[in-house]
Amino acid sequence: MPKLHKRHDKSDIFIHWFNAACWILLLLTGVGLIQHPAIDPFGSGYPEGLRSLVGGGANLLAIHEGLGLIWIAGFVFYLLINFRGARFFLAEIFAVSPARDMGWMLKKMVLMTLGPKALKAVGMDPELPDQGYYNMGQKAFAQASVVGGIVIAVTGVIMYLSDRSFGAEATVLVSWSIALHFIAVGLVFAGLLVHVYMAAISPEERPGFKSMFTGVVPDDYAKHHHRLWWNKVKTEGE
Amino acid sequence: MAQQLAMVIDAAKCIDCKACVAACKVANSVPEGQFRNWIKQADDAPVPGKASGKAKFQPGACMHCDNPTCVDACPTGATYKDPATGEVVIDHGLCIGCGNCLPACPYGARFRNAEKRKADKCNYCPERRAAGIPPACVDTCPTKARVFGDINDPESEAGRLYQKNKDQLARVTARTDTKPNMFYIGDPGTPDWGGEAVVPASMVAMKQTAPLLKAVVGLSGLGVLAMLGRQLIAGSGDHKEDTDA
Repeated sequence: MPKLHKRHDKSDIFIHWFNAACWILLLLTGVGLIQHPAIDPFGSGYPEGLRSLVGGGANLLAIHEGLGLIWIAGFVFYLLINFRGARFFLAEIFAVSPARDMGWMLKKMVLMTLGPKALKAVGMDPELPDQGYYNMGQKAFAQASVVGGIVIAVTGVIMYLSDRSFGAEATVLVSWSIALHFIAVGLVFAGLLVHVYMAAISPEERPGFKSMFTGVVPDDYAKHHHRLWWNKVKTEGE
Repeated sequence: MAQQLAMVIDAAKCIDCKACVAACKVANSVPEGQFRNWIKQADDAPVPGKASGKAKFQPGACMHCDNPTCVDACPTGATYKDPATGEVVIDHGLCIGCGNCLPACPYGARFRNAEKRKADKCNYCPERRAAGIPPACVDTCPTKARVFGDINDPESEAGRLYQKNKDQLARVTARTDTKPNMFYIGDPGTPDWGGEAVVPASMVAMKQTAPLLKAVVGLSGLGVLAMLGRQLIAGSGDHKEDTDA
C-alpha cells in the first residue's frame, strides 16, 4: 500500500460536488432564460424547448432563482463549518509566483496539445517547473471560479431582488447585473471545459480526480505533480 | 393571415375628456400616478373666442408595433410579439423589472409598475376581451374616437375602418420607425411626440460581448479537443512518473 497524503476535508469534497451539481443545473436553466437572437448562446430553440418542459418561462425563472439561492446557502454552510479550509484555499490559489507559474502554464499548454517535441523544437526544456499545493492551471481556474462566482452570486441576488424590493431607480443596476452575470458565466464556463477535461478525462490528473472522492493522493503523485507541497509535507509533516 | 390587433383612432373625434385614461386605470388597477394610456394635447390648445387655435389631440398607448424595439431590448424574451395576434405581450412571470424596455419605446408607452416592480403597458384588456367586451378605453370613449380590432379581418369594425381610410391613415412619427399598429385618421400630433428608441448601454454591451464569449468558449473547446486528440493518438506515454520516489 503506497503512502497517502490527505488533500481534502470531507467538507471540501462536499462543496466541490455540491458546486458542480448546482453549476450544471444553473447553467442548463440559465441558458434557457436567455432568449434574444443576438445573445442566445446556442442560437436555437433551446429556451422554448426547456420552457415548455417546465411549464413556461415563469417556472424556469423560479427554478433558476431557487437553485441559485440553494447554491449560495450551500456556500454559507460550507464557510460556517470549514472557514479555515476556505481561507487556506484562497491563500493557495491567489499565491502566484510569476516566473515559475507562468512558465508552467505556457509549457503545460504546449505539452498537452502539441507534446514535448514542440517545446524541444524551440529549444525549451519540456520539464515543468515544480508546483505547490495547486498547479497554475488549477489556480487559474480556481481564481476565475472564485471571482466569477462572487460576481454571479451578487448580480444574481440583485436580479432576484429586482421585482421584490427594488424601486425604479435600481433598474440601471439590475440591467448591468444581467450583462455581468452573463459575461461572468461565459468566462467561467470556458475555464470549466478545460477543468473537466483535465480532471476527469485526461489521465494526467487521475489521482487528483480520485482525491475529490477519497480526500487522499498517493505519495508519488504528490511528489510528481505538487513537489513544493510534497517537500513541505515531508519536512513539516501532514 | 394571422391577426393584427390594432387601434384605428379618429383623432378629430377626441375631445380630450380623459375618460379612456381613467377607464384603463380602473380596469387594470394601475398604481397611483401611473397610466397605461394617454391623450396628448398640442401646446397651442384652443382658446375660446379665438379662431387660430385648432384642437390637436393624440389618444395613444402601446402601439403593438411591427418592429418592436422594446422586444429587442429584452434579454429574456419576457416581452415578445405574439405571432398569432400581433400583440406585444409582457410575460410578467418572466419579467424581473430590469427596465431595459422602457427607454426602448420611442412613445414612452412603457413604465415600471410601482407595485408589481415590473414592466407594464397597454395589453388591450385581455380579461375584458375574453368576456367578449372591448378594451376599457375603447368601451368608455364617448365619441368612439378609439376603434379596436383585427385590422386583417375586413369584417371587423377596425378592419373596415382601416380598409376604408387606408390612403389617409397616419402613424405617429418617431425618430425610430417601429411601424406602430395604431393608425390615426387625421393628424396624430406634432412630430416631437415620438422620440427615439434607446437600448440601454448594458444591453448593448451584452449583445457586443456575446460573440466574444462564444469565441472564448469555442477556443477553450478547441483546446480540449486538441488535448483529447493528442491523448488518443499519442497516448499518455510522454507522461513519465518519477522513478526515484
